[in-house]
Parts: sequence; structure tokens; C-alpha cells
Amino acid sequence: MLVDRLLRQGAMTEIVGPLSSGRTSTLTLCLRAVTRRGGLAALVDVDHAFDPRSAAAAGVDLGRVLWVRAEGRRRSALEAVDLLARCPGFALVALDVGESPPRLPLAAAFRLRQAARRSGVALLVLGSRPVVGGAAALSVLTRRDRLAWAGPGPVPRRLVGMRSGLHVVRKQGAPWPAPVERLWWTA
Amino acid sequence: MVDGLSRLACVRVEGFAAAALERCEPALREQPLAAVTGAPPAMRVVEANARARAEGVRPGLPDAEAVVRCPSLVRRPASAEAEAAARHALLEACLAVSPRLEDAGPGLVHVALDGLHRLFGDDLEIGRRLRRRARAVGLDARVGIAAGRAAAGVAARVGPLVHVLAPGTERAALAPVPLATLEWPAGLAATFARWGLATLGDLAALPRAGVGARLGATGLAAHDLAAGVDRAPFRPWTPPPFWEEAQGLDWEIGTLPALVLVLERALERLCARLAAAHLVVDVLDVRLALASGGHHARTVSLAAPLVDVAPLSALLALELEAHPPPAPVTGVALSARAVPRRAAPGRLWHPPAPAPRDLAAVLARLALLVGGANVGTPVVVDSHRPDADTLAPFAGGGEADDGAAGPEADRAGDAEARTPAGSLAIRRLRPPRPVEVETRDGRPSRVRAAPALDAAVVTCAGPWRLSGHWWDTDAWARDEWDVELTDRTLWRLAHDRLTNSWALDAVYD
Repeated sequence: MLVDRLLRQGAMTEIVGPLSSGRTSTLTLCLRAVTRRGGLAALVDVDHAFDPRSAAAAGVDLGRVLWVRAEGRRRSALEAVDLLARCPGFALVALDVGESPPRLPLAAAFRLRQAARRSGVALLVLGSRPVVGGAAALSVLTRRDRLAWAGPGPVPRRLVGMRSGLHVVRKQGAPWPAPVERLWWTA
Repeated sequence: MVDGLSRLACVRVEGFAAAALERCEPALREQPLAAVTGAPPAMRVVEANARARAEGVRPGLPDAEAVVRCPSLVRRPASAEAEAAARHALLEACLAVSPRLEDAGPGLVHVALDGLHRLFGDDLEIGRRLRRRARAVGLDARVGIAAGRAAAGVAARVGPLVHVLAPGTERAALAPVPLATLEWPAGLAATFARWGLATLGDLAALPRAGVGARLGATGLAAHDLAAGVDRAPFRPWTPPPFWEEAQGLDWEIGTLPALVLVLERALERLCARLAAAHLVVDVLDVRLALASGGHHARTVSLAAPLVDVAPLSALLALELEAHPPPAPVTGVALSARAVPRRAAPGRLWHPPAPAPRDLAAVLARLALLVGGANVGTPVVVDSHRPDADTLAPFAGGGEADDGAAGPEADRAGDAEARTPAGSLAIRRLRPPRPVEVETRDGRPSRVRAAPALDAAVVTCAGPWRLSGHWWDTDAWARDEWDVELTDRTLWRLAHDRLTNSWALDAVYD
């Protein structure tokens, strides 16, 4: 299962990609898998960009999601993630740093990884550029492959979906089965 | 017979909302009184006392018509607080006669009489005692005694103030009671009238299965009532417990650490009592008696219910540190608003959840970091308005959906990995980013926004037309477009039809 390869208990995963590349859809996929198994997930949302309606439509059990809205306060968001990473019992702690990721010293990133390792929490960091660098056990770059539109004639009437590729940039441990994982997201 | 009980009394207070008001203002007993609800001129009568009922004032009557029927009518707004107090008072009055009673609704109590005859005498004497007890708390009750609640309930409505139906005579005693004496669900009374039924005996004479086939569950309940049959289990009422621990001090405490030590001892006693009853603290009230003669009260609302002394003590200390008592303390009282302890989520296939005390501490610190309004569980509001979502307090997920959890869920996930991964998620722009849009043939062709966005539209789909609340001042109407720009981003573009403005609402990601 893709989510099991992306998330590992006690390890940090980083997903990097530009807008419309599928990184938020990948986050939603992880939230869905964790909450459907009965686990609790925490999402620290720096830019207040999370959309509960589309997440619920994707199958996320919102009752098992703790949403922390940092309203642009990046330092507070990092402190919130640090708190959550030290709280055993969350199956997933996700940090969505949005389009203006904060600068995180390498020592702080490794401290975060150590906290996740002690508590057994799977830590997921999303952003438009890398934040935690070498502290992540897995770094993935998302890229959009293509869009699909539908409708009669030359004018499309409906967005059907998007295909994105997950490119593994760096991985500790066993190798990834394929260099690129293709994912299809339906609109 | 109900659950092995051979004799039951029904204690009934007619016009309970009015009786509760009379209890607060005894002078009203001598006048026709109606409890009313609603704002003028749409006020309606909720209940009326006996004098007002004798003048033709009935529940549901418009206020103006009630005054026409009874010009001396005194009207008072119905008070939920007064009713709750009167209901509790009636239950406690009955509890003084029998330890087994059932709260059947406002002004209605069922009392089990088994075992009381050697104490108080026969049924009639027990009925009189119940009436005296109710009168002592300011409520004029009627008492019906029979072998079941249905028959006792009817007996409490008709006949003498204490109406005893001898064992075995219930059905015969109920038979001549007119159907109009009782309150029936909407439509049922009309059906009975159409069938030509006038008394409970007429209804009881009909075959039960036939009544059930024609009228469903309400018909069966009516037939049982007419036949004096009682099928529901007896649900005993017990007075709510009082969770408080208090301690008077022989000395004055002027420092917080010493005060916390005293509070901690009181907390230990309180938590031990709660733990024995399988309850946890939801809200903790602390009341400090001060040397100055006053009181200092604080309330600690917990993010997650707890019964552990250490975190509760820490939270109390933090609260008192933020709001210290203005004078030395001479007495402490702690009271807890308790809730049932939730079953531990130790299911076989469920991952472990955070310990309640850890979660409570984390939630409190998160609230300090980003504000209490920014921490919680997302809740999708039932509305077509875009981005109509709110946050609810995080409860740790509650009970997981067993159907979704476990190895079956894992297998479902495996299947998903081989098929489309999932739904395309969107990222909201809060607030939406205003943009200038060029259109060609009514469709967006170029999007501009300061400072850095100037891109042509490669492909667009739409419009999706949405609107709502057109009936009030909060009206909204918009067209939504899915647009792909030349910088490879895919946006949801919204055109507000009321203000004729464009905005980037969300980005597909």
C-alpha cells in the first residue's frame, strides 16, 4: 500500500512540490488511510488552506483529525508540530507549510525527528520547497503529469482528474520499488 | 405486572407548567393562571391551572382568545427553570415514600408500592401520603393506584384525587372512561372518532393485531393503554449525586504553593469518589472562602475529561496563578461536573490513542500557541456556501467505525493503490484572492493579480452556478470555473454575480 511506504511510525517524510502537483491530494490520501484504520491524525496548517469538505469527500474521517490553524504564524506552527510529535498516540502528525516554508535549522529538524522516533508518530511535512532536508527518512517530489477534461466539442465542460508522479528524491532503508509512482486523482 | 412489581402509583400534577409558576408565586393559586410562550402578538397558552381550565382556557389557545374566554386570566411566561425545579421537587417528595420510582415526564411520577404496605398501610393510605408529600413541596397532585402504569395513569386522571383500582378490576374500571379524557397522538383521536369508538372499553374490545396493522406502533400503544397492559420496563430514578469536596482551614493561607497542596488533598478525595463511580471530571469549580469574608470562585473547563489528580492539580494551580485570590484563604471547596468515563479504545485492530491527560495538556498548549478558536476537529456544515466549515472541540475521535477499521480496511487500501488513488484535493485561499479577469465569449481568457500573477488561461471548464440565502440579506450567488493557467497551476475561479467581481477561491493540488 502506498501510504504504508510513505508513512512510517517514528520517521519523518517530506513531500515537496509546486502548486497543482498533487501534494495536498497525497496528504489527504494519508489522512484517509490513517483515520479509516481508527488512528488519530493531527494537521498543522500554516496557511489555513485545508479544505474539510473535499477531505470528507475523499473519505477522511474528520472526527479523528485534529486541525491546528496557525494563520500564517510559522514559528507557532513549528512549535505546535514539536508538541504533537512528542505526544504518543497520534498515528500521523502532518505539517503543511504551504507556499512560504519557514527556515528550519538542521538541528531543529533532527530534534523533531528524534521526538517522532521516541513517540512513534509518523511525521509528514509538505511544502513547496524542502524544509527538513536530511532529517527526513523519505523525500518525495510531486509533479503533475497531465490533466483530463471532458465535454463535447472543443470546449471542455468538466475537469475529470489529474495524474501526478511521485519522484523519490532520497530514501533511507530499503529501496523504493519504482523511481516514479504514478497516481491518478479524480476531481 | 411490571418487572415483578404488583402495585404502582401514578402521581400526576395537571397543568404542570402553571403549577410550577404557582409554586414560585403561591398567591397565583387563587386566580385563573396561564403559562404562555412566544412573543406578542403570537403568544400561546402552554398550560393553565384548574380555575383557568374551568373557564375554557386550554393549552395551545392564542393568548388573545384565552383573555376573551377568561377576562381575569393572569398570564405568566412559562419558565423552564421553574419547571425543572418543580419536577425535581416532585421526584424527591415521592422518594420520601418509596425508594423505587420512575421519572415519566414533567409532573408525572410512577411509584412502586411493593413492600410499603406494612410501613404505611393500604393503597389508599399510601396514596394519601403521596399527595401530602407533593402538597408539602407546593404541588397539588392526583394519585392513581393500580397493577400497572397504564391503568394507574388513567386512574390518576379520572375519579377521586386518590383513585385506587382493586387488583383484577383494572380493565373493567377503565372501560367506561371516555377516550376524550386522554391525550392522543395527532390524528389518532380523529381515527377513533371515525371508527365510532367512544370509550377505552370500545378500543380495548378491538383485536390488538388488527389495530396494529392499521395504526402501527402508536395504535398498539393506545390499545395497550385502553386494556391496562403495561409492557415497558420500569426505569428507576435515582437522585443525581453531588460531587463536592470541601475543607475548612484553621489557619489562613496566603501563598499559592500551600493552597495548591490543600487543593490537591481535596482533589485526591474527589477523584477517588469519581473513579469509584466510573466518572471523569469535565468541569472543575473551585470556591475559596477568603479571610476578608468574601469568596473567590474559578472554573476550570477541561479540554478532555480527566480523573487524574496530577494534571487536574496542575491546571488548578495555573488557573489560580493567573487569577489569584485577593485575600488569604480560610476554606476550599471543589465541585466537579462529572461525565461518564469513555470506554478505553483498546480494540484489537485500533492503534493506541493518546492518554487523556497527555491530550488535554497538548490541546491546552496548542490553544495558547495559536488560539483556542484555531484548534479542533473540522466540521462540514450542511450548506452549499463554499468554505462553510467550522471547528468543533477535539474529542479524540470517539468510537471508531468498526466496519472501517482493521484488516478489512487495510485490504481496501491495497485495492485503492491499484486503482485511482483518490480524490483531487483543493487548497483554499482564505480570504479569496481578488483578481482581474479578461473574458472571451463569456469565458475567462486571462487572469491578473498584483503583484506577480499575469497568466493566460489554457483550459477552463464551467461555469458551475451556485447561490443561496436569496431570501435574506446574507444572499450570495456565484459562478465557479476550473481554469488551468500557463504557469501550470489549476485554480477554482469564482465570479461573484452580486458584486460582479472575480476571485481565486482555491487551487487544485
